[in-house]
Amino acid sequence: MTSHLRSSIESVRLSGLVALRHWLVFRRDFFANVSPTLVDPFLYILVFGAWLGTQMQSAGPRSYLEFMAPGIAAMTALFTSFFEGSYGFYVRLVYENVFKALMTTPVGPREVLFGELIWLGSKGAIMSSFVSLVLVVMGVAKPNYLLLTPIMGILIGVSCGAIGLLACTFVKNINQFQAVYAWIISPMFFVSGMFVPIAGMPALIQKVCWLSPFYHGVQLAQATLWAEGVLSAWIIHGGILAAMAGLLATWMWHRIYPQLYG
Amino acid sequence: MSVLGAAIVEVKGLGKAYGKTQVLSDVGFSINSGECFGLLGPNGAGKSTLIKIIYGVVARSQGDVRVLGWDPQVDGKELRKHLGVVMQDDALDEAMTVRGNMLMFCRFHGIKGRQAASRVDDLLESMSLTAKAQAKISALSGGMRRRLAFVRSLLSNPRLLILDEPTTGLDPAVRHALWDKIRELKRNGTTTILTTHYMDEAEVLCDRLVVIDQGRVKIQGNPKQLIQDHCPGYVGVFNEDGAGTGNTIRREYATIDAFTSDMKPGGGQTGVIRPSNLEDVFLKLTGRDLKEND
Repeated sequence: MTSHLRSSIESVRLSGLVALRHWLVFRRDFFANVSPTLVDPFLYILVFGAWLGTQMQSAGPRSYLEFMAPGIAAMTALFTSFFEGSYGFYVRLVYENVFKALMTTPVGPREVLFGELIWLGSKGAIMSSFVSLVLVVMGVAKPNYLLLTPIMGILIGVSCGAIGLLACTFVKNINQFQAVYAWIISPMFFVSGMFVPIAGMPALIQKVCWLSPFYHGVQLAQATLWAEGVLSAWIIHGGILAAMAGLLATWMWHRIYPQLYG
Repeated sequence: MSVLGAAIVEVKGLGKAYGKTQVLSDVGFSINSGECFGLLGPNGAGKSTLIKIIYGVVARSQGDVRVLGWDPQVDGKELRKHLGVVMQDDALDEAMTVRGNMLMFCRFHGIKGRQAASRVDDLLESMSLTAKAQAKISALSGGMRRRLAFVRSLLSNPRLLILDEPTTGLDPAVRHALWDKIRELKRNGTTTILTTHYMDEAEVLCDRLVVIDQGRVKIQGNPKQLIQDHCPGYVGVFNEDGAGTGNTIRREYATIDAFTSDMKPGGGQTGVIRPSNLEDVFLKLTGRDLKEND
């Protein structure tokens, strides 16, 4: 085995341990940490689907709840990864000095950042898969391609989590994440095709949507959990989402690396 | 990997700049195996930056650094397998218990299973922390936190131990317990780099030291020899007008008698005379106090 390969394997092991550290901390306060992930989708299903949905005219072959259900799975990955990448990382970096301590061990900035991406992707995958499973059990999503939902969660988790990590390099204090949420995440969330198809929106907005990773995440979730046009959705939206995840992660890497390694 | 010499640490012509601000300039020294080496200097002198360059988490701007034969900038990951580092602010993981902190660091150092458990138990015991093993970090006193940070740095059986102001803010009992532990490690052949504000600490523990001021090495050598060379004898401190309202005078004396005869006769003047120390050396060479901020 070459020394370069050995070093790469060691780097992956250490990155995994960074993610494991985050999991161990997450597990200590498990109920509080998973509560938003469990309660929010339930409320969306209840209010928008089961109640408001019955008051609305169905625009196609499925009920409003069935229309919105895949978006709820994607939404779970969006919020869990964005908040973990923004507030979570910022607290670890600035207030808890976690990385400062880890970097006295063989862990370096590369392992810290790769570990963060593993953690974001894992959280996105687990949370959105779990919600997808619940939607299938409820009968509002189809089980045919359920096994693809973890990959969908990883793609949404890494791309939207990277936005949170990137935000850490622009904000001057933790309060400023509110502006990032209000001006970037909220518009991305509401104009994503999750609540209404974007086809009915102005042409400019339809074009701008293509720049949003969450839009592609919702398209991917809808195809996967409706079991319709799965292959084309994974090629087009999955491909674009993967490219966005790569670009955002690379940008984030170049912004944060110098902060970790002076 | 290349080895420049027998020294454990070699620093040559080291410079570090953040933008236009030069933090370190032309720093050079070497540390031999088994030595306890002191880095002294006022706050903001560049000591912490220098230490971070040595363990490979800050990039240097100029010069050459070799630690245990590795260039920290290139082989930092490999190097840190053999280092133990205690930082100024402890940097303990507040989200974990005492034992959790130790076990997590074992994982990063590749120490597993029963070996990890036994090593953690032994080290906690060595610093009287066994009873606190399951405690949250927030439940520890300042002294306990520092002791935990110290034993955590020993998990990897380090060849080089880096201690950044390890006893600052500690009560004398804990301070002396840490000194004993540092001496014990030294007897076992561990090389130590120590930054401190306490001159007595440096004089007692360090075989050699450098004093850094404004990013440059002012002096280096054995503490006792430095005092002998630059400020032998005694230093007297007294008030210039005897009424306690004038300036404080600080003067070197060869003998105690010389100090006594220097006091204003019949002026009720009081003063203190003591053997000169490293702080006097620093003050003499720079005109500034070691504890001063830049």
